[in-house]
Amino acid sequence: MNILLLAGLLVAQVRYEDIRQGPSENWLTYAGDYAAQRHSPLKQVHRGNVGSLTAQWTYHIDGARKLEAVPLVHDGVMYVTGTNEVHALDARSGRRIWRYRDDKVKRQSVNRGVALLGDRVFFVTSDANLVALHRTTGALLWQSQYAETSKGYHATLAPLALKDRVVVGVSGGDSGMRGFVAAYSASTGEQLWRTYTVPARGEPGAESWADFPVEWGGAGTWLTGTYDADLNLLYWTTGNPWPDFFGGDRKGDNLYSDSVLALDPETGKMKWHFQFTPHDTHDWDAQAFPVLADMNWQGRPRKLLMQANRNGFFYVLDRVTGEYLRATPFVDKLTWASGVDAKGRPIEVPGMDPTPNGNRICPTVRGAANWMSPSFNPETGWFYFPALEGCDIMTSSAKKPEPMAGFAGGGGERIPSEPGKFYLRAIDPLTGARRWEYPMTGPTTMWAGTVSTAGGLIFFGDDDGHLVSVDARTGQHLWHFNMGQPLSASPIAYMADGKQYVAIAAATDVFAFALFEPAKPVPLVPETVK
Amino acid sequence: MRGWLVLLFTVAVVFPQPRRERSPEDNNPLAGRPEAVEAGRKLFLGVCSACHGPNGEGGRGTNLTHGRLVRGVSDRELRNSIRAGIPGTDMPPSPLPDEPLWQIVAFVRSLSTPAAESHVRGDPDLGRGLFFGKAGCTSCHMILGRGGFLGPDLSNIGLDRSLRQIEVAVLDPNERLATGHQGATVTLANGTSITGVIRDQTNYAIQMLDAAGRAHRLASQDVRSLEMNARSLMPADYSQRLSKAEIQDLLAFLSRQAVRTRPEVAP
Repeated sequence: MNILLLAGLLVAQVRYEDIRQGPSENWLTYAGDYAAQRHSPLKQVHRGNVGSLTAQWTYHIDGARKLEAVPLVHDGVMYVTGTNEVHALDARSGRRIWRYRDDKVKRQSVNRGVALLGDRVFFVTSDANLVALHRTTGALLWQSQYAETSKGYHATLAPLALKDRVVVGVSGGDSGMRGFVAAYSASTGEQLWRTYTVPARGEPGAESWADFPVEWGGAGTWLTGTYDADLNLLYWTTGNPWPDFFGGDRKGDNLYSDSVLALDPETGKMKWHFQFTPHDTHDWDAQAFPVLADMNWQGRPRKLLMQANRNGFFYVLDRVTGEYLRATPFVDKLTWASGVDAKGRPIEVPGMDPTPNGNRICPTVRGAANWMSPSFNPETGWFYFPALEGCDIMTSSAKKPEPMAGFAGGGGERIPSEPGKFYLRAIDPLTGARRWEYPMTGPTTMWAGTVSTAGGLIFFGDDDGHLVSVDARTGQHLWHFNMGQPLSASPIAYMADGKQYVAIAAATDVFAFALFEPAKPVPLVPETVK
Repeated sequence: MRGWLVLLFTVAVVFPQPRRERSPEDNNPLAGRPEAVEAGRKLFLGVCSACHGPNGEGGRGTNLTHGRLVRGVSDRELRNSIRAGIPGTDMPPSPLPDEPLWQIVAFVRSLSTPAAESHVRGDPDLGRGLFFGKAGCTSCHMILGRGGFLGPDLSNIGLDRSLRQIEVAVLDPNERLATGHQGATVTLANGTSITGVIRDQTNYAIQMLDAAGRAHRLASQDVRSLEMNARSLMPADYSQRLSKAEIQDLLAFLSRQAVRTRPEVAP
């Protein structure tokens, strides 16, 4: 065993400190760094040369239909997921080093990627198994089922690795379950803590549900959280209360749905919470990951937390205390609330609940923003994200809620005469003002996000299946590539062997781009067999 | 007899849709009995293997080891296809009586039944001792993080492979080289060499893994030469190194490596 342990140590480790440092040549965690700014310091590709970006390689994932994964890159190796599978690729050539596939899983959900720590790769299967693999071989090290499909759970998120642990959440909030966040030991797969997002009877917040059964309240935790290593606080967002569109059986604010929770990563204990949309009846999960930045707020430095919420308001909070600082509408089509009061509670417009016959409500059920990755450029100080201007007809049903049966208490429908439109928007968080916008064409079906680079660029997936680059200061178009596939993932930037790449998973393939270089002839390698 | 059993796969199409509920009469009365599987294997080698291959992996006929191809039909439907043949294909009828037909069905089922669901003679605890000890398997193979890097990970082998496939891999590793695990030595342009297994190779790039578990991403222009091993890195003499009983113990242990059948972690 000693020899084997020694061998294991020869594999370059992904250290907690490396992740904490943020993106470099590597992209080590879902949102690039714990603060989730998605800002790469790479500037080989910049405003002046991005026009000559060309495709370098494509990697196809058999059977994929809608890849949502953010690839991670360490030391020239890319790790990307499909449904119930992980692929490790040479990030320079796009050729496969290993693949792990669990074909015994009965559920087929999308997957948003892996976490890296030490010599390990972590991902979740659709049926909520957290899996640890050896990073260079894909060998299975342990597997822990952390939620049961028989209780309405499934899993889609990229885990978050920090210190000695891996943090996960659950999906399933649209058909009834009880959301939670849980941490597992990275070395053994043992559960360290679990914090539910719907309080049990007698716990603080339980009174906000009337008599609704705790186990079906929803408040899913289906997107990777963010983390402040200095404060040692984990920020995890939660989804809608269930049933999504009918609140008659769950009178009250329905804590802690549609909220951001500040958790102690050692114990899971909640330090504070902020609820964006109390008693939600529009399916407006607060899922987008919170972006953390330290800025000068009204004359004094503050540790801020920012989110463009599905409900149409851009929020700024103090992330030390959870104090609400400001909310600004970031879409023009916003009918359900006239503003947000001094305590951060929306000022609701009467008559803006879904009705049995249908009610026109803006934003749409998809929300004015959603989980598509935003980015923050510390040089401009601006926040970049895709915003959807649109409205839906929302209906409700007072039918007795039946969990795990696809029942959501109603639904939303598009208005044929009123098509929506996506915009990439840049917002100044200090004022809430829109600095520029880049309108997109397309069917309003995309789920793609953004990445910011020190080259002064924002890369984003658009609603017509293009990867696009615009100037971070002006929003001016600089480059685009037609991927030929719908986009539901967010791009990254990385460096391999001295060359900067930008990569994104399209519907069925991963694409990587770099600056044009004329090809050189490659001699055949003399091959013998012994 | 050549040609019969060809395209057994098409039974999935021939049988009525939607599939009716199965009754006890649909089941093979000899199901899972090791002696029936063995008798069926001998019959199969005599009359079926010309088209379906000696291990049922196909050739002129269909590959029968893919679980989804034969698992969609009942035992009785399988037997009826063998007995009556499949009209419109090269699969002819068989004159065999019921018992040998059920034996063949038992063998065909075993081809796609994960080892974890098969009856395996042998003591898995003794097999564990061999795997992590005398047999030396962990110099190349890993189970749940214990072992070496060059061979396929065996943490879930009981679900990934049939008993027959595991047995062949142990006793005759050169019968089929595991993709991504072929041994090789690469000499780089700078004169250094790397020995390990080839995970992927094109005219333009090579991905290797060495015995220390390090991944090497090589561009062809940086490689001077490549020497591939003709034979598997796995020793081919386990039938001499281990007794028959020990082989059975090892197979029993490997067959139980099935992570998904382990108890759920309690909330």
